[in-house]
Amino acid sequence: MKIVPLALAGLLTASVISCKKDSPADTSSKNISAKKDSVVAPEIYKEYYGIYMGDFAGKEIIIPEIGEEYEGEVFKKISLKINRITRDSVYGQSIVDGNQRPFRGVFNETTKSFVLDEPGNDKTDGRFEVTLNNDSLTGNWNAFNKSAVKAPSKLVRLVRKEFAYNPNFMLSPDNDLIDWENPKNFVEKYTDEETGKTESYTASKNRIASDAVFKINASKQKLTERDLKNLRKLDMEIIKNSVFARHGYSFKKATYRNFFEQTDWYIPVSNNVDHDLSAMEKENVALLNRFIKYAEDKYDSFGR
Amino acid sequence: MLLAKKNIPNTLKILLIIGFGYFFWLMLKITLEYIPLKTDVSFLMIKQTEIGQRPEYLYFFYIHVYTSIFVLLCGFSAMLRKNFGLKNFHRNAGKIYIFLILILAAPSGIYMGIFANGGILSKISFVILGCLWWFSTFKAYQLAKQKKFKEHKQWMWRSFALTLSAITLRMWKVIIVYLFHPNPMDVYQIIAWLGWVPNILLIEYLITKKQI
Repeated sequence: MKIVPLALAGLLTASVISCKKDSPADTSSKNISAKKDSVVAPEIYKEYYGIYMGDFAGKEIIIPEIGEEYEGEVFKKISLKINRITRDSVYGQSIVDGNQRPFRGVFNETTKSFVLDEPGNDKTDGRFEVTLNNDSLTGNWNAFNKSAVKAPSKLVRLVRKEFAYNPNFMLSPDNDLIDWENPKNFVEKYTDEETGKTESYTASKNRIASDAVFKINASKQKLTERDLKNLRKLDMEIIKNSVFARHGYSFKKATYRNFFEQTDWYIPVSNNVDHDLSAMEKENVALLNRFIKYAEDKYDSFGR
Repeated sequence: MLLAKKNIPNTLKILLIIGFGYFFWLMLKITLEYIPLKTDVSFLMIKQTEIGQRPEYLYFFYIHVYTSIFVLLCGFSAMLRKNFGLKNFHRNAGKIYIFLILILAAPSGIYMGIFANGGILSKISFVILGCLWWFSTFKAYQLAKQKKFKEHKQWMWRSFALTLSAITLRMWKVIIVYLFHPNPMDVYQIIAWLGWVPNILLIEYLITKKQI
C-alpha cells in the first residue's frame, strides 16, 4: 500500500519538472551506445565527429482540407550527430521533430560513406546510407518498417555545423512570427447584401507573436515582472524557449521548432539542456513560467 | 392592469437577485482560490515584486480579499430593505457593510491602488475609486445616524454602485478581451476606469431623474 503514495509523489515531481518547458526531460537515450566497448577500440577519424544538419525530404500522401489527396514532397529538418568512429563501428544519434534516436553503424574508409542503423524498436527507425564530401553529408534513409511511416524513403542533404551556445542569438524581424500549429476556430456571421440572408461560417485564427520577442532576451538580462506584465502568452513562450533553443534543445512541440528552425543559428543537439542553463536563465525561466501560467489561467476569464 | 404594474418591479427584483447570485458565486470562487492562504497564487503570481519589496502588501491584499466578499453579501442583503422576519436585519447587515468598508476594505483597496498594475492611469483610477467608496459609505452612515433616511438611501446607492465595480470591472474585462484581444495591461488600464465610472453615472442619473 505504501507504493501508491510514493508513485503519486513520483508522478507529481515528474509533472513539475515537465512544466519547465514544452516536454518532459529524457536523458536515457543520450549516450548509451557511446559508452559500450569504449576501452577496446581506438578512435579513428575524429575530424569527422560533429553535427550534420539539413533537409530530410520524402514523398508523402498529402490530404488537404479541400480537394483530393495527392503525393507531395515533405521537407523536415534533421540533424545527425557523429560521436565516435572506430575501425568497426560508428556511434551517434539522429534528431527529427524532437525525436532523438541513437544509431550505430559502419564507416567505409575508401568511399567515405556511412551505413547507420537506428535501434529498430521505434516505428520511425530506419537505416541511413550517407556519403561524406568535405563538409556535406548526403544520401538516403529507408524505414525498416515501410508500412508504418508516411514516407518510407527519404533523401538526406546535410551540412556540417558547429554547435556553440551564444546568448545573443534571437529571432529576428525576418522570421515568420505566426504560430501555425494552434489555430482557434470561431464562428463568424455574414449577411448577404442582396438577399439579406445571414449565414454563419467557421473561420480560424492563428496566434502572432509581437516584436517583444526581438527585444527581450532572457539569456542576457535579468527579467522583472514589469518587463513581462503586458505581454501575451505566445511572446513569453518564445522568450522562454529561446533560452532552450540557444542551448540546443530539440523541441518536441512543432510550434517552437517552426519558430527556431527558421533561424540559421538553431542547432538541436539534446533533449535535456536543464543543466546547461545559467543561474540567471533559470531564474528567468521560472519567472516566465509563472507569467505564462497566469496568462493561461486569467487572460480571458472573469477575474483580474 | 394594476396587477401587471405591481408585478413588473417584482420580476425585475427577482431577476436582479438571480443575477447578483450568479456573480456573487463567481466572486466567491475567486475568493476561494486564496484559501488556504498562499503567497504566490492567482493574482499574486504577477505581484511578487510588491510582495518582495513591501512586507505589508500581503496583509493589505488579504484584508481586502477576505473582507470584500462579506461586503458584497451584506451590502446586497441590506439593499433589499427587508428584515425577513429577523429583528433589525437591514440595520445589522448595513452596519457590517459600513464598518467592513470604512475600517478594512476601502483603506486596503486604496493602498493596493497605489501599486496597481497598468501604470499611472490605473493607479489614479483605483485610488479615486477607493476614496469615493470610503466617502460615500461614511456619508451614508452619518445620514442614517441623523435619521435622514432619504439621503441615506441615495448615498448607499452610490456606495453600493462602487462596491459592484468589483463585478462590473471583471465583466468588462471578459467582454473587451473577447472582442479585441488586447495585451493584458492595456485591458487593465481600460477596465480600471470602465469598472466604476459608468456605475456611478447610472446611479446619479437614477437619483436625479427617477428620484429613487
